[in-house]
Amino acid sequence: MKHSEKPNIEDISTSARASILAKIKAQVVGADYDKLPQENAFVYPTLNKTEQLAQFYLHLEANHAQVIKLAEADLASVISAELNKRAITSLLYGKNTDYATSMASLAPQLQLQAYDFSIDDHKASLFNDYPAAVSSSRCAISATGSIVLWPDENEPRTLSLVPPVHFVIVDANTLYPDFQSLIEQQQWQKNLPTNVVFISGPSKTADIQQTLAYGAHGPKELIVLLLNS
Amino acid sequence: MTDQQASPQLEEQESKYAKSARAFRDNVTRDLANSELRSNFRGAMDYLMDKRKAAFCEETELETLRIQCQQIKQRCLAKLPILLEQLEDKLTQNGIKVHWAETTTQANEIIAQLIEAKKGKSVVKGKSMVSEETALNDYLAQRQVECLESDMGEYIVQLAKEHPSHIIMPAIHQNKQQVAKLFAENIEGFNYNTDVDTLIQQGRSILRDKFCSADVGLSGVNFAVAETGTLCLVENEGNGRMCTTVPDLHIAITGIEKVVEHLADVPPLLSLLTRSATGQAISTYFNMITSPRKVGEKDGPKEVHLVLLDNGRSQAFADEELRQTLQCIRCGACMNHCPVYTRIGGHAYGTVYPGPIGKMISPHMLGLEATSDLPTASSLCGACGEVCPVKIPIPKLLLRLRKESVKPKDAAGEVMKGQGAGRSATEAFIWKAWALVHKSSLLYQLSMWSLTRFRFLMPKNLGPWTRVRTAPKPAAKTLHEQLKNRKSQASTGRG
Amino acid sequence: MTQLNSQHLRQYPNKPKQVYLFGTCLVDSFFPDSGMDAITLLEQQGIEVLFPQGQSCCGQPAYNSGYQDEAKAVALAQVRQFPLDIPIVVISGSCGGMMRHHYLELLDDVPEISAFCERIFEFTEFLIHALHLKLTDQGQPERVALHTSCAARREMGVHITGNQLLAQLDNVELITHDYESECCGFGGTFSVKHGDISAAMVADKTKHLLNADVVQYVSADHGCMMNINGALAYQKQSLRGEHIASYLLRRTQADKAAK
Repeated sequence: MKHSEKPNIEDISTSARASILAKIKAQVVGADYDKLPQENAFVYPTLNKTEQLAQFYLHLEANHAQVIKLAEADLASVISAELNKRAITSLLYGKNTDYATSMASLAPQLQLQAYDFSIDDHKASLFNDYPAAVSSSRCAISATGSIVLWPDENEPRTLSLVPPVHFVIVDANTLYPDFQSLIEQQQWQKNLPTNVVFISGPSKTADIQQTLAYGAHGPKELIVLLLNS
Repeated sequence: MTDQQASPQLEEQESKYAKSARAFRDNVTRDLANSELRSNFRGAMDYLMDKRKAAFCEETELETLRIQCQQIKQRCLAKLPILLEQLEDKLTQNGIKVHWAETTTQANEIIAQLIEAKKGKSVVKGKSMVSEETALNDYLAQRQVECLESDMGEYIVQLAKEHPSHIIMPAIHQNKQQVAKLFAENIEGFNYNTDVDTLIQQGRSILRDKFCSADVGLSGVNFAVAETGTLCLVENEGNGRMCTTVPDLHIAITGIEKVVEHLADVPPLLSLLTRSATGQAISTYFNMITSPRKVGEKDGPKEVHLVLLDNGRSQAFADEELRQTLQCIRCGACMNHCPVYTRIGGHAYGTVYPGPIGKMISPHMLGLEATSDLPTASSLCGACGEVCPVKIPIPKLLLRLRKESVKPKDAAGEVMKGQGAGRSATEAFIWKAWALVHKSSLLYQLSMWSLTRFRFLMPKNLGPWTRVRTAPKPAAKTLHEQLKNRKSQASTGRG
Repeated sequence: MTQLNSQHLRQYPNKPKQVYLFGTCLVDSFFPDSGMDAITLLEQQGIEVLFPQGQSCCGQPAYNSGYQDEAKAVALAQVRQFPLDIPIVVISGSCGGMMRHHYLELLDDVPEISAFCERIFEFTEFLIHALHLKLTDQGQPERVALHTSCAARREMGVHITGNQLLAQLDNVELITHDYESECCGFGGTFSVKHGDISAAMVADKTKHLLNADVVQYVSADHGCMMNINGALAYQKQSLRGEHIASYLLRRTQADKAAK
């Protein structure tokens, strides 16, 4: 046997698995799971829609997101104005989305690109060529000022991650009071997609002497386009 | 089990942390003398304590949540083998491959082989304390695989060739001047600048290239949900999302105690985790990964793997009292409130996990032989237990570790590796003599009488005590003596 | 394990005719005056104080060092000294915590140990909740600080009762010192086993007390005071701390109120 020869992954894992499970199973022999104590959640005060919206807004602002209340018809013009302010002339967006047609109206003044390519051959371009992106959202949570995204084929995960400026469209009618109620009402445990991400502001860090700095690795700016508020 | 003759065995090496943990006392001397370090820590701990306090303004809510989360973790631990098997089943169904490792070497070897199978050469790392625990970077370096840390704090610490000194804020021991100097000395083209935004943008630009070009992304896991086969990650910077989305291969590593039963268990744990750690209602990103890239999807890793690590956790699990150690959700509140940690800093411990949690978990990971000084390096003030979101009775567990540490060699039943390592024959004798005296009222009063009558013989030098304090002086007469012939006078005055 | 503010859940007896005093080993040989003053205060309330001569130490030093068999032997000896079903008043928060909470587990094979533990009261806790003590300040205006031991604070919740007692003294201005709830660094054998860390902690505690600009500080725990006063003396500072029993006695006695 050569000294440099190492056991393969399967062997290591199989024997480790057997050993670990044997050890911990031995400790729970005869455990009666019906005797576990009753768990009590804290009952938070119920907020009405106005209060939830206010809470949602407060959290996002405190986390340096920019919140713009608008009507759906104004999406294109607002985005265009915001891009203009930042001297950005291109936009990456999700194709086959509700807002896709209204984005199309921004061409040719803006260079529009639907995220209809695979990241595999376009990584460098994705990282370098797109200063801004727009995505929709599935819903939002007021208790923490969080926006919930379920990326899919039309709106890939990196759409809301790589471009430094991220516009996210949120419908105030999809606001939930908290994470618990969201899971309960939408029954998430039944089926989760490849990825779910909660976004609660632009990227930040306080790793250097506890001093807050924005735009660490994720988007430097999060612009929330809030409909139906 | 494979036939030992046919299959090669891994050479297990003693963790480098065992060596540094043994140097605890020297480390403490060194770091107590470092006034810049102490000032950095004092400022940082005050900041984090204030942040946490502001996030928990309502005591009833906090206490209700703490009890609930303690019960959730205890339930999940009670069901640990069931949940681990369920987690494995679900993850596998979802297309995420699960691997098991008893030791850090096994975990590292599994990861190394996964990378080699894909001919990977560069790894970009999200924040993973478990990968620090296994010293993964060193192991992969020996296999010509380069690891780059992408969490800003970890990146700083890697540049400085140091280890994290805090489990949430790895570079907490440095101030911005030190970081600026570090960047200026190590990053080409960067001139000394203490503006934090500038420093962060510099880090962003370097790491952005790495996210784009790395073959492998490595992450930890905050919660592994058995019900749905989902890996949950908590972060503010976005590097976690980058590492788990951009490279073709994503490898996650975590401890076996991180599994939770239901998706519904996550919200209360998450709420307490982020508020206890940094006073945030929620982290900027909460990332839930349930499978690799599916057909039709444009991005995401093509392969996702999870490595489940034991490394002493099953030892803690085996004892009902010590099992509570595994309730930890790695928030860092204990060390933020610890007067010892504040003064000696995170590196002095010599272990991956510093502070109170480090004192509790390191003896299981490294053995008591290497860590026997840790359980006694506490005044048992209880500030940690008071803030622990999952109500781990930390002082109680430290007392238990002390008991294990001084157990005689012939004690029945081995609970911990290295038990008895802290036992000294002298100390054992002293306590035996002390007990003899104090359980006999006659011997006790005799010895106290001698103490008072010979108090002028009390040495002025009492070792560590008298280096910074005067020696206490016994009284002329004990309380016992003064009360001996005195009948209690219940006065008829006030009452 | 005890909860914070556990005293809110406790049942307190009505004012008894008799109590036991547990003096603690430190008070016994080093600070007996505090014990005498505590007894006087209780007697002034019309209570007969019994002091079983057979008592010695609660056992905590051995217990905290991991020598639980030895601690148990001594703890058991203490329990036998207090047979009457009357309150046991302990003039230290850490000894009180040991006897009230840790004895439950240490002596779990002793029948009725929980009844024993139920009779344990820390001194300030007893004065406020069982005696509903009302104090009249006879002294001159002065600024003092209160240092509460960690066990008293976190195991017994009695930083509150210490505060309440001092708040009754009209001429006493109770000053909060910086990092008031941070440990002074005593921790029993910790102060010797990890002397350098302990030294760093007591250096800060003395600094904060000195910054409070008070004429003295008060505490219900002699372990902490031995540590803090020892450090202050070493630093050649004049600031000192006194047991709350002695302070209260002095402040409420017209002829002795002036220091």
